[in-house]
Amino acid sequence: MSSIYRSVFDIIGPIMVGPSSSHTAGAVAIGRAARVIFQDVPTKVTVHYYESFAKTHRGHGTDFAIAAGIMGFAPDDKRVPKAPQLAKAAGIDIRYVEEEGPSPIHHPNTAILEMENGSHHTTVGGCSVGGGAIEIRSVKAQNVELTPTGPLPMVLYLDRDKNLHQIQALKEQLMGGSQLKERKKKATTGDLYEFDTLKNLSPEKIAELEKKYKGIVFLK
Amino acid sequence: MYESIKQIVTTAEKKKQPICQLIIDAEVADSGVSRDAVWNKMKRNLDTMRQAVKKGETGAGVHSPTGLTGGEAIKVKKYREQHKSLSGDTMMGAVQAALATNEVNAALGVICATPTAGSAGTMPGVIAALEDRLHLSEEQLVNFLFTAGGFGLVIANHANIAGATGGCQAEVGSASAMAAAAAVEAAGGTPQQSAEALSIAISNLLGLVCDPIAGLVEVPCVKRNAIGTANALVAADLALAGCTSLIPADECIQAMDKVGRNLPSSLRETGMGGLAGTPTGQRIRAKIFGKDVK
Repeated sequence: MSSIYRSVFDIIGPIMVGPSSSHTAGAVAIGRAARVIFQDVPTKVTVHYYESFAKTHRGHGTDFAIAAGIMGFAPDDKRVPKAPQLAKAAGIDIRYVEEEGPSPIHHPNTAILEMENGSHHTTVGGCSVGGGAIEIRSVKAQNVELTPTGPLPMVLYLDRDKNLHQIQALKEQLMGGSQLKERKKKATTGDLYEFDTLKNLSPEKIAELEKKYKGIVFLK
Repeated sequence: MYESIKQIVTTAEKKKQPICQLIIDAEVADSGVSRDAVWNKMKRNLDTMRQAVKKGETGAGVHSPTGLTGGEAIKVKKYREQHKSLSGDTMMGAVQAALATNEVNAALGVICATPTAGSAGTMPGVIAALEDRLHLSEEQLVNFLFTAGGFGLVIANHANIAGATGGCQAEVGSASAMAAAAAVEAAGGTPQQSAEALSIAISNLLGLVCDPIAGLVEVPCVKRNAIGTANALVAADLALAGCTSLIPADECIQAMDKVGRNLPSSLRETGMGGLAGTPTGQRIRAKIFGKDVK
């Protein structure tokens, strides 16, 4: 069993603005995750849609949903349908491209977001697997490309110092007695790690780790 | 959480505990969040579902931006007031709540996805019937949602709940099965009877395609939820009457997964096949989005 869905609230919920949990609420979640990974306000975002997303994004409100996610709105925020105008006013230029052919991350509901501002460029590939749940299947940051395990919760960390000692300490903190899956990509700019914690971490623990590990990303 | 329907049933039988209790315990253990917080979150979901039903049943109804849906929950409401319906008032009350919810969803209103937005009306429809027939308390309704969610998790992890991957059977079919299983528990049935209701509900909607006109969650989605609700109530009643499914629940879920995988992409939420592919469906699409749309 893949166990993409881990909480009863993945099934009963989310509370959201219609019309589609996969194409609207899930798209908000992809936009939010991308913004969290980018760790800054992008000035330009290019959204590449594939398969069902490419065919039906206009009818499902996927465009305003992605924009809402980039703005950091929750799926039940009443501002969701107005997000493109609000993003434009905030200086974020968002373009949407309908791509032909199959999704490079192998899911019919795929959006790949290229985000940039003056200082950096990040690409995040997300798919909406149903009921508002998402997976993040590709991340490219600081020219390092990683293929994460997919399901959330997920922890991403770019280790610029290549300090294995520090990574071992982080892993022990994340595990807390339970399982931990890990993916790693080495590069000259740093080693990019992804950890699948299987269970959600407490807000206190996240705050503690964020202080200790600069730039660490928690997706849930 | 639980790996299979069989595991849910045997655990409930062994511990002599209601399924809702097992699911609450599992959620508390997996999330690291307090029991109160878990309970309150589900209660907020119930409140949202009720608000959507109410919104869809007041005034002239709610209409989608395209005008393709809206105002039918109100028609059912008036019909119930003025006529003796063929399938009985409990059933038509459930249908009314289901239509109302999906009309609110299509109008970009706030709903609770159960398990998806396109199938958000099925569960509130069954809730309306349970309130009418069994006068369930708020606590019992929250428990109903936990049970439904627990069964839904097994379906989601072994088949799926997205129209784009599994067709409408994965959305309205899953919602109907979850609601049927939970309705049996609410009505005092055994855990095994819940599993039978789930099997029957899935079997009866197996193969249902996802063919939204113009790719919008409007037609036929709104009325499909009426059928999802009715199917859930029939399946629950059959199970409570002692009828059983020849195929075990976990195998019905596997069948649904395989059928979904075999559906062509035109019948999986692309707005191309089925009703969306009819001359009228294509004409509406061209009218809404212009002729250049593929």
